[in-house]
This record gives sequence, structure tokens and C-alpha cells, in this order.
Amino acid sequence: MTVIQPTTMMSGRYQRAFTIAVVVLVAGWHLAGAGGQLLDYRPAYGSFAFQGAMWLVMALAIAAGSVLVLRGALGWRAAWVVALIALAASTAAAAASPAGQMLAVNWAWGSAGWTGVLVLVRRRFAELAWFLAAVALATLGVQVSDGLNRADLAGFLALLAWSTGGQVAVAAGVRALDLAAGQAATAAASEHAAHERAATAEIIRVARHARWLALQESAVPLVAELAAGTADPGDAQVRVRCAVQAARLRRLLAEGDEVAGSLVHELHASADVAERRGVAVEIETAGALPHVPGPARRVITDAAIAILTAARSQARITLAVVAAGIAVSFVADTGAVVALPAAGEGVAIEQQEDDGMLWAEARWTSR
Amino acid sequence: MDQQVTVVIIEDHPVVTEGVASWIRSDPGQRVRLVRAARDLTELRAVPRPPADVVILDLELLGELVTAQIPELVAAGYRVVAFSGHSDPVIVMETLDHGAHAYVSKEEGREHLVEAVLAAAADRPYVTRSQARAILADERPARPTLSEQERQALLLWFQGMSKASVGRRMSISENTVRQYISRARAKYAATGRTAPSKDALLARAIEDGVIKPGEILPYTSFARAAADHPSAGQPSADHPSADHPSEGAPGR
Repeated sequence: MTVIQPTTMMSGRYQRAFTIAVVVLVAGWHLAGAGGQLLDYRPAYGSFAFQGAMWLVMALAIAAGSVLVLRGALGWRAAWVVALIALAASTAAAAASPAGQMLAVNWAWGSAGWTGVLVLVRRRFAELAWFLAAVALATLGVQVSDGLNRADLAGFLALLAWSTGGQVAVAAGVRALDLAAGQAATAAASEHAAHERAATAEIIRVARHARWLALQESAVPLVAELAAGTADPGDAQVRVRCAVQAARLRRLLAEGDEVAGSLVHELHASADVAERRGVAVEIETAGALPHVPGPARRVITDAAIAILTAARSQARITLAVVAAGIAVSFVADTGAVVALPAAGEGVAIEQQEDDGMLWAEARWTSR
Repeated sequence: MDQQVTVVIIEDHPVVTEGVASWIRSDPGQRVRLVRAARDLTELRAVPRPPADVVILDLELLGELVTAQIPELVAAGYRVVAFSGHSDPVIVMETLDHGAHAYVSKEEGREHLVEAVLAAAADRPYVTRSQARAILADERPARPTLSEQERQALLLWFQGMSKASVGRRMSISENTVRQYISRARAKYAATGRTAPSKDALLARAIEDGVIKPGEILPYTSFARAAADHPSAGQPSADHPSADHPSEGAPGR
């Protein structure tokens, strides 16, 4: 499963908005700016059909570049193919323009530059610079071959400043906005993480409080009785109560660790005290166990603690996947049936005793 | 049984071999005789092969898993009982699929190993708790379909009840419990790759009335398996590795 980080998602949204703005700008320029100029000077061109064809080639390059950019599928190869088509169309259109009027009637230089901005803006800045320089040089080359006087050079420089300057400014703006969006998204993400931490801390606090309340009910009175001398550690009943409380304390600690397979983990913790008493406990699982909710795990581990406390020397705990749930079973040499906690929370408990061996099953179903 | 079952143990830890030998010695009926103990498979590959009914095979020899060598031993006519410290259901299933008769984990050895060897020698199913666990955990698409009763018997057996207690719990006789568990095992012998040991186990299960031919799905795979191995159950004089036409058979 792929997890999309909020940072990436958010800055991605802003970047897409900037991309759309650039697409609209470039397409608008080619349609209204270059297209308008082409129609205005229609009689001036030697072959209007050729200029129209070049305009169409440029329009197709812009359309293809836009689709690729919007889909996020623009590799360096495709970017440069589009850019070079624009450069070629621009140069051809300039070369086919009437010699003395080339700069005045040239619609293509601007469109070629904007096409470069469209496809190269998110690549290294040097690539765009090289491309814009190449378009300008190609146009200058056409002008030089047509004959270059001082007025033409001044016109060329004015056009260069006007069109290329605008293109560089837009490209720089997009890059600056990208950067700002990234920073904003990072800030938002850290705020999101802070919220999550706070929520987690609250869940932990509530769970701790619940554990503290549970101890108040069970372990605290026992400790108080032991301290006051009203409970005698020599009494077998008191020792059983101590063993049960010790197991519950271990389980409470285990419940704090929310790990995968929480139930198995908590059963291990519940078995710990019995094992210290010399009972051999084995725990086995069959199948990929479903997640069992906390309250149901409580019922199951309570049953485990009751049985393990009564076990004399051995106990086997198994967890098996059954239809829509899990069967946790206990086989132990308790010698008799054991008083088990009440079923509930979707857990049904059964037991059977044969020749001193107890079998009990706590079956949790999600239905 | 009039004659003792002969057994070879392949085990790289001498202390385990000693333990197995002592379990065999302490069998009151003296039904099994350990004829050879080896630390790897070299001796079993020698020609002529040492005669024995059953091979007790430690699945990990000198740090390497040898489940893939089981077909070779089975093709040579030995019945294989895997005896391993691994209890991962995937390994158990692979071991059975390769044609081992039974799987006994090292924890189960004292209680089950001798009985598993005797069952294997007679081509009868023997299902340890670790095998029951692997069957219950099996979620492969090609697994055989078990009936509710078979599943329940396997579950209670895996949980640790004696077969008598399983019977009381399910209100059936202990013998019927054995029958359900054996039938589930026999169904596994009818799936996956073919092996002469699986054919022998199935044939014996049908003969014993544990399973009816119609209960084995798909039955065709059994018929094909028999055709692939006309010498099923007999020691083969051929080089064994040339005798696995069915590797990659459907159901894997």
C-alpha cells in the first residue's frame, strides 16, 4: 500500500495550480498574441499558408506539451522534443518572412519561448536559459542573413528584452512559488503530526487511567490487607489471590504495548507468573489471527489467568482461526473445573474436565 | 506385528539420536529396531541402499533444510517420518507435500515418534498436533476441502485434548475421532505433487475404509499419480532423481 504523505499531497496541489496557470498563459499567448499578429500581417507574408502551417505545428507542440505536463508524464526527452519542434517552427517561420520586415511580422519567436517555458520550467534553470538563447540566436541568425543594420539590431534587442525577459520572469516566479508551496506544506504536515501526537497521547492517558482504576479495584485492597496483617501470606487462598493479581499486573503492562498480535502478547504476559511458579506453559497459534478488540481480549486473558493459576504443572494455550473469529483454548492439569469469568464482549466460554485435565475454550466471533 | 519395523535415523546431533534410540528401546512391545544412524544422507545414497522400512529424517542437517531431498528417499522406497525442531506450518506442509508420511516436532517426539514410525511402516496416516496445526492454518487455494466434523476433530486435537476427550466433546467414539483425523490427512495425500508414498497412504486408507474413493477430490490426480508411478511403494533401482515427472504438478 502506498501512503501519500500530506506534505507531498499539498505541495502537489499547489504545483498543479501553477502548472495550469502556465498552460493557460502559453496557450493564450499563442492563440491571441501570436495568432492575432499572424492575421494582422496576413498580406505581408510571402506565403501565408506556410506561416499558418508553422503556427499549427507550434499549436500542436504546445497542446502535446500541455497534456504531458498536466499528466505529470513529461520526461526530459519529451520536453526537449517539444522544445526543439517549437525552435524549428520558429526559425522556419522567421526565415520565410519578408527580409526587411522580419522583426515586425515575426509572431513565432514569442510562442517558441513560451513553449520552452511550458515544458522546461520545472527542469534545471540552465536548460531553459540555453533554449531561450538558442531561439534568440536563431532569430538573430535569420536577421543577420537578411542584412543587419543598427535599427534592426536595436529592434532585436528591444524584442529580446520584452519577450525573453517576460518568459524568464514567469519561469522564476513559478519556481519561487513551488518553493513556497513546499515550505507551506511542510509546515502543515508538522502541524498534522503534532495533532496526531496529541491524539495518541490522549488515548494513552485514557488507557493509563483505566488501568489505574482496575488496580484500585483489585490489587490495592489486597496490598492493603497484606500491609494491615488481615491477609496471611501463609494462607493458600491469599497466595492464589496474589498470583492472580501478579498476573493481572503483568497483563496491564503488556496491554500498554500495542503490538501486532496483542492477544498472543498478553497471553504470554499472563502466563509469565504461572511459569515462574514452575508450570510449563506452551502457546501455539494456527493461522493468521484476526485482531481482537481490547474488551474481548480482557475476557479471554481473565480466563487464562484463572486457568493458569489453577494449573499444577502444565498448560497448553492455543489460538486458532475459526469462522469469523478466533478460538483460544486452554488444556491444563487443574484437577477440577475452574471458576471462569463471565462471558461477554462477543466471547463465549466453555469447559470440560476429563481425568483431571481441564479443557476450556474462549471463542470470540466478530458477529 | 510379528516382525520388527526397521528404521534408519538421519540426524546431525548425536544427543538427539541417543534420545530417539532410547525411546525405541523403551517401547514395551519392542516393535521397532534401529538399524543405522547417520549424520547426513550419503549412506542412504550408497548402492545397494541400506534396507529399512522407515527413515527418521531431521529436516535441518548441518544448518541446511533438506525437505527437497524427501522425494529422493521416497522414490527409493523408504517411508519418511520428518522429525524437526521447526514447527512452522509452511515447512510442515511442504514436508508432507514432498511425500513424508508424518511430521513430528521435537517437542512431540517422546509421545509420538515411535507411533508415527509404526504408522508409516503400515502406510497408515499419523497426525501429530503440529500437523493438525499446519492443516488448520492452511489457506492455500489448492487445499483439500475438509468437512465440519474433520475440522472440529483436528481443532480439538491441536488444542491439546486426548482423542478420548475429543470424542466425549464431540459425542462420538474415539475410533470415529481417529477416522476423521485420518481422513483429513488422506485428503492431503491426494493433493499437490505426486509421490509413491502418498499413493500408498491413500490406497491403504481406502482399504481400511477411512476414506471412500469418491471423497478424494480431485480423484483424477490419484489415478494419474498411480499411472506416473507404476512401481509405487517398491524400492527403485533407477537413480531416484530421474524419477520425478510430476514436479510442478497442478495444485502446487
